[in-house]
Amino acid sequence: MTDMTKPARDGAGPGPDAVQVIGGGRESLVPGTPLLEVDDLHIKFHTRDGVAKAVNGVSYSVAAGETLAVLGESGSGKSVTAQAIMGILDMPPGKITKGSIRFRGEDLLTMSPKARRAVRGRKIAMIFQDALSSLNPVLSVGYQLGEMFRVHQGAGRKEAKEKAVELMERVRIPAARQRVGDYPHQFSGGMRQRIMIAMALALEPDLIIADEPTTALDVTVQAQVMDLLAELQAEFNMGLILITHDLGVVADVADKIAVMYAGRIVETAPVHELYARPAHPYTKGLLNSIPRLDQKGQNLYAIQGLPPSLLRIPSGCAFNPRCDRVQDVCHTELPRLVPVLDAEGADLPGRRSACHFWKETLHG
Amino acid sequence: MGRYVVRRIIQAIPVILGATFLIYALVFLLPGDPIAALAGEKRQDPAVVAVLRDRYHLDDPFFVQYWDYLTGLFKGDFGEDYRGNQVVDVMQRAFPYTINLAFVALAIEMAVGVTAGVVAALRRGKFIDNVVLISTLMVISIPVFVIGFVLQLVIGVKLNTDYGIDFFPVSFNEEAGFRSYLLPGYVLASTSLAYVARLTRTSLIEVMRADYVRTAVAKGLSPLRVVVRHGLRNALIPIVTFLGMDLGGLMGGAVITEGIFNIPGVGHQLFQSVYLRERTIVVGIVSALVMVYLFANLVVDLLYAVLDPRIRYE
Repeated sequence: MTDMTKPARDGAGPGPDAVQVIGGGRESLVPGTPLLEVDDLHIKFHTRDGVAKAVNGVSYSVAAGETLAVLGESGSGKSVTAQAIMGILDMPPGKITKGSIRFRGEDLLTMSPKARRAVRGRKIAMIFQDALSSLNPVLSVGYQLGEMFRVHQGAGRKEAKEKAVELMERVRIPAARQRVGDYPHQFSGGMRQRIMIAMALALEPDLIIADEPTTALDVTVQAQVMDLLAELQAEFNMGLILITHDLGVVADVADKIAVMYAGRIVETAPVHELYARPAHPYTKGLLNSIPRLDQKGQNLYAIQGLPPSLLRIPSGCAFNPRCDRVQDVCHTELPRLVPVLDAEGADLPGRRSACHFWKETLHG
Repeated sequence: MGRYVVRRIIQAIPVILGATFLIYALVFLLPGDPIAALAGEKRQDPAVVAVLRDRYHLDDPFFVQYWDYLTGLFKGDFGEDYRGNQVVDVMQRAFPYTINLAFVALAIEMAVGVTAGVVAALRRGKFIDNVVLISTLMVISIPVFVIGFVLQLVIGVKLNTDYGIDFFPVSFNEEAGFRSYLLPGYVLASTSLAYVARLTRTSLIEVMRADYVRTAVAKGLSPLRVVVRHGLRNALIPIVTFLGMDLGGLMGGAVITEGIFNIPGVGHQLFQSVYLRERTIVVGIVSALVMVYLFANLVVDLLYAVLDPRIRYE
């Protein structure tokens, strides 16, 4: 870890000043600066039917200017991890039982609620999936955008509105000045998602978490929104966590991918290597189920079975009931996330797999 | 929106006609003779009775009487009672008391009810939530006249005699002014207050689960701002409906409360007039109440559009 991530807080203890210092100013955001490190995160949900183990030891990191795609089916724990990072997990029923989330060296989980709130929205912002339900229906978009400046920067009503117009122009909403007083339902789906993006960008955060930002949109609009997001990320050198189940969205914008299954990361890899040579049967299955033009007329591949219930995760490897490479060891021993080596035994940077048979999967 | 208002006012006309007709018919059908009621137990001079019956057209057929009343009403003439008082004067005397009482009650409902509901919603399942739920259930279960008499005794009398706190008058007292309305206002509000608290609680719990509240939290807003600006603002829509509807009820339903606290308001007057078969006063007051009710309804519907921009009236 570099000096840049040393805790900015000194012996003075957690006061309002300390809140200001966390993360420092924008100028310190050099590409490659580690921003977020999630380490061995465990999250459980206490439900009526028992304890659901939603996240079981997830670790990942994001640096400035970097895009991490977290890929997984619904229920894989990708969104829950993101909510824990944002501090918007519903607790109870949720409970973080183990692990740490460090943002620029500061552990978010042990921070005071007030300090946490200063990070939220200002340093780490989130874009939600369904912009229509995620925007307040009774407040104008101008108000909702301007609120960021009013609350975090003490801006006046007029100044906040002015900045809201600027934001709307930045995400290329036509006639921003005329539309600033409009309400969310008066915008199209794509425009609403742009407003969500504008809201996340408002205070130029270091890190943006986008939770399925394009799922609710038409395909053509999806591409526009993803391009916009990638462009703005490059402009501000932000870190970006892109949570999705859509392999197509990931390919163009992500630098590295973490594939999640039943609350664990089963494979990590730089994006193109993962597409070229997956090292986990689950990833392989996902890639095989993408419809391809050169396989016209053939049946689509589908991974057999369903993801496990988080109340009863299979022992050993959670993927074992659905895996076509399953052996006895898969039922008894939990595979650790180990480095993936190439045929000569050299380390492949950034590549890890949680499969007993990663070698066979990768090379076979 | 202007056209919408005009349409609503036009729609109100048959409602008012129907209401006056019904009330007029019901009072007409009541047993007992209004002229006989004037003298109580005493014997009346048949000549005087004949003059009075003629003056008030009491021997005309029902529809003729109703028609006369209605044409008078459209000329702004509410008629006069059997003592020769103008009904308008009687109403002008009684209504201010009832309006004051209703608005005090409404203010108490909003202040206490909404606050209790918000607190219960935010502390859901905790001790204070149960306190709110159980106490509101009790208030809903107890009839108003019981609450009225008990509070009158405990706060109006005992507080004064035992603790020397002479703030809440036992019964209505012109000199005490505003203070006189507090205790009856609370009694009148009690049942609705309990409903408002429960409605607020349910509505806010629902809204706090919404995605946009999660967004508000993710924006780093303070909990107070999240609840008030983003939560309550949305939760308020059903509460405003209830309060608007209730205003009509508070105006007309104060008969018992006005009776207990001796307030010379509309409820009191209405009760007396029914007893004395004062047809014109009963019909006049009820018609006025119907109009208040319709007006409150219209205001509520227009408030919807203010509270929720997705609602537009064409």
